[in-house]
Amino acid sequence: MAFIELRGVSKQFGGVRALRGVDVAFEQGRVHALLGENGAGKSTLIKTLAGAVQPDSGEITIAGQRAQLSPRSSKQLGIAVVYQEPMIYPHLSVLENIFMGQELVSPGGFLRRGEMATRATPTLTRLGLDPSILEQPMGALSIGYQQLVLIVQALIQGARALIFDEPTSILSKEETDRLLGILRGLRESGHAVIYITHRIEEVYQIADEVTVLTDGAVVGHFPIAEIGSEQLLALMSGASKRDYQKRSSQGRVTGAPILAAEHLCVPPYAQDLSWQIYAGELTCVYGLVGSGRSESFQAVFGHLRPASGRILLGGQPVAPRSPAHAIRLGIGYLPEDRKLQGIFADKNLEFNQTASVLRAFLQWLGKLDLRGLVRATDQGMREYGVKAKHPGVQIALLSGGNQQKILFTRWAKSKLKVLILDEPTRGIDVGTKAEIHEFIRRLVDSGVGVVVITSDLEEALQIGDRILVMRKGRIVEDLRGEALNPETILSAAIGARS
Amino acid sequence: MKSERLRSARRSGGSPGRRLGQFLLSREGLLLIFLLLLGAAIDIASSGSLLRFANLNNLFVNVAVVAVASIGMTLVILTAGIDVSIGGIVGLSSAIAGQLLTNGTNVLLSLGVFLAVGLALGLVNGILVSYVRIPAIITTLATKSIFRMLVFLTLGGVWISSIPFRLTNFFVLTRIWILPVSLVLTLALLIAASVLMTHTRTGRWFYAVGDNEEAARLSGINVRLVKTSGYALLGLLTAVAAIFSLAESPLVQNNTGSGFELTVIAAVILGGTELSGGRGTVLGSLIGAVIVALVQDGVILLHIQPFWNGVLLGAVILASVASSGLRLLRQRGAR
Repeated sequence: MAFIELRGVSKQFGGVRALRGVDVAFEQGRVHALLGENGAGKSTLIKTLAGAVQPDSGEITIAGQRAQLSPRSSKQLGIAVVYQEPMIYPHLSVLENIFMGQELVSPGGFLRRGEMATRATPTLTRLGLDPSILEQPMGALSIGYQQLVLIVQALIQGARALIFDEPTSILSKEETDRLLGILRGLRESGHAVIYITHRIEEVYQIADEVTVLTDGAVVGHFPIAEIGSEQLLALMSGASKRDYQKRSSQGRVTGAPILAAEHLCVPPYAQDLSWQIYAGELTCVYGLVGSGRSESFQAVFGHLRPASGRILLGGQPVAPRSPAHAIRLGIGYLPEDRKLQGIFADKNLEFNQTASVLRAFLQWLGKLDLRGLVRATDQGMREYGVKAKHPGVQIALLSGGNQQKILFTRWAKSKLKVLILDEPTRGIDVGTKAEIHEFIRRLVDSGVGVVVITSDLEEALQIGDRILVMRKGRIVEDLRGEALNPETILSAAIGARS
Repeated sequence: MKSERLRSARRSGGSPGRRLGQFLLSREGLLLIFLLLLGAAIDIASSGSLLRFANLNNLFVNVAVVAVASIGMTLVILTAGIDVSIGGIVGLSSAIAGQLLTNGTNVLLSLGVFLAVGLALGLVNGILVSYVRIPAIITTLATKSIFRMLVFLTLGGVWISSIPFRLTNFFVLTRIWILPVSLVLTLALLIAASVLMTHTRTGRWFYAVGDNEEAARLSGINVRLVKTSGYALLGLLTAVAAIFSLAESPLVQNNTGSGFELTVIAAVILGGTELSGGRGTVLGSLIGAVIVALVQDGVILLHIQPFWNGVLLGAVILASVASSGLRLLRQRGAR
């Protein structure tokens, strides 16, 4: 009998269906790989198992019992998650980290360090760690060792199922091999190991079975011996094959590039990037999380400092010192995190929409034309179909999609040469997403150089005339027109040998 | 359709009566009611001393001293900063300019130096906070003790007491209608600052930085410059407050200005500016300043022991912050 079983689990965030009727079972003594590209629903699935997200429908059984999972009950039932970026207390010792919240105390309230160390030692040894590590501060360990400590913690707290969220994405080769060895050990000792990844080669190294997720739905489940890597790749990119409009790329882009990078280095995120962006052509930049997409363009926007290389705007070398400087030069950037980097949550729509175009509304002595601002906001709201009563509404009261439209308007009205849009449709319902795609196209047609950074392959294929693929801080593909093919792009992005 | 929407954007109340009702229930309205009640209570308890002319003039100058500095403090707190060094700025600028004033230097020149010292000290705070990125509370705690030491060195242990009477005559005793010149100047600065905050790009920058610093930077606002200029303006306005204060009581000693930061921060917070930044008005701070000055006056008129002053200010700060904390909790509960 499976240790964890999900039947028909669905979850919707706003208009986005993150999980659609997922059926999957995880057994003890097996390594079960969950494979999928960004946004396929892997993270939501983990959060559901960790009790951080409550499914809208469907049922979960743990060891045969139906379970309503909360973060607490999930832990008590023996489910532990080792996240991509380990959550640790860097200034506390390894021992204190392991027993955080589960300390052994004497009746007087004193910590029983000796007993805790004794309790931890066998597990440490089992994972090949020296017990002397217990006294070191957690922050002094490499990420690879921190992960191991978290595994020790999970085992000591009695975990029976361990979920690993892309554990090797930030590990070196040696650390990866050591981790895979440990996972095999866990399998021998009868733990259920759930291994989330987008690296196909690792699936073959470690997994007993594999489930492929696409667009929140399970599209296949196979014992590892029965499926080849070509087929897995095709399944992962399956959704992207649906009939997207093939853009003819307007054929010839004429003239000089409006924006270009020459050997741009933004350590540690990106190395030796060279690309050209043309006006009238929509360029998508696709890559997995951590491929340096956002950071390399934040350097173009003056938010990060490049270490070397040149940026050319309209053929002229420029060196944006700050976002303010970049905007004066004619470069705009719609940030990826709407809440943290985009909106002024306390303020109204007018304030938000006009934040970077105030210069156009200056009157004598620097006084602002307040009525003009309200009128312009109102006009922008109608032009881009923002659903809100009037410009005086506080932006936090709007849906994510409408907030994004306001921010998009902020930049669309800024009279720029180049606009970089970082994940412009993340977490937005399907209808608004289509509208925003339409607005982006209008902007491209008006002659602005537009770059859309996205981790959604389907989106890139749907709207891009051209796609730059990034992996580990480098450009690995630059494709146009007929060459735009989901499998080529995906395998370039994940570095599969195909 | 369009004009209708525009109208509804501008229309916030309804009939004038309803609008008055709404104002009275807003924070400013409630504070105003509280202010009147407090004034009436003090006046009755002191059997009419509050409204006696000599006291009233004194009160007006005190309001000017607190209010003019709270304009600057409002700007700083709006950007989610704080400045606890302004007592030191009062002391140091008074000590330096006071010596010029007593050794016969031109009065206007001395006042210029007064302002310049305030501006420079504020600028030091601003640069340390925004460019060197030392947390505001740490920066200003440190500069506060440094400024205090410099006051001591400047004075060399000797009080300055021979401040030209012209200063008192002009700022305290000369009146326009019934208001002393210091208060009239303060009101003018207040109006200017209020226009700056609501009608100019610079004002928006302050609100934007306080609301979401990262978003502000990414929308092209020079965040560090905005923050620095807040501290610099606060330094300048603190020097103005110091001038008024010196005119009222012409004496500079080692502890001149100490405790002033508490008074001003209390006024600003009471006036509705939030410590987390992005929310607050200069006008609110004026009402806060009047209440704080009234409390201080009441303590004197009612012959309460002076250390109650600090207790009351502390209570004012705690009560205002607690009330905005409760408001946040309510909002979260409603969601």
